[in-house]
Amino acid sequence: MQIYDDYKDHADFLTIYIREAHPLDEWRMKSNEKDKDDVCYVQPRTLAQRVAIANDFTQRFKFPVPFGIDEMNNAANSAYAAWPERLYILDESGRISYKGGNGPFQYDPKEVRAWLAQRYGEVKHAEPAAEKKS
Amino acid sequence: MVLAYVGLSILAGGPKDAIGMLRFALPYMHRGKLKVGDSAPDAQLVALDGATRFHIRERSNRRPLVLVFGSFT
Repeated sequence: MQIYDDYKDHADFLTIYIREAHPLDEWRMKSNEKDKDDVCYVQPRTLAQRVAIANDFTQRFKFPVPFGIDEMNNAANSAYAAWPERLYILDESGRISYKGGNGPFQYDPKEVRAWLAQRYGEVKHAEPAAEKKS
Repeated sequence: MVLAYVGLSILAGGPKDAIGMLRFALPYMHRGKLKVGDSAPDAQLVALDGATRFHIRERSNRRPLVLVFGSFT
């Protein structure tokens, strides 16, 4: 989450974990099973199951971004029409300042970066140096 | 109808994925009613410890708040 590292001194971030997009017992994806770090879960039916998967995720990736889990009534997901993934920015007054498109095709973190850059300045990163061939 | 299914299969990544999309994705995927400028709704969330509750609004400390919704799979 480069955006988080770049702008955490200026904005708050909150990851909200919602119902699974491609669980094994619904629309399973072959890519999740083929991946060597397999991501194979059934759709959580209890809060404990949802919490367990959320912890798997944050521990596996050492995820630094503040994290919250949607209750089993899916209130946050419903309120924000978030499924399967979406980005929002709320301004200081609690109003929606940016509403991203639905993932996967319209989910674009670059738009969030552009919003933050317009307000706080662009953060550039050096391109990784190409390996020299001997 | 057949053309629509073929098109959906291409979009989804295969015939089985097209069925998956129709059955499990479309019922949950929608634009929602929120617009830029609307007051952001609040909701109660659970922390990673599985017990602590907090509200989305509590995480906004007089700064912009970026919300990242998603799941693992």
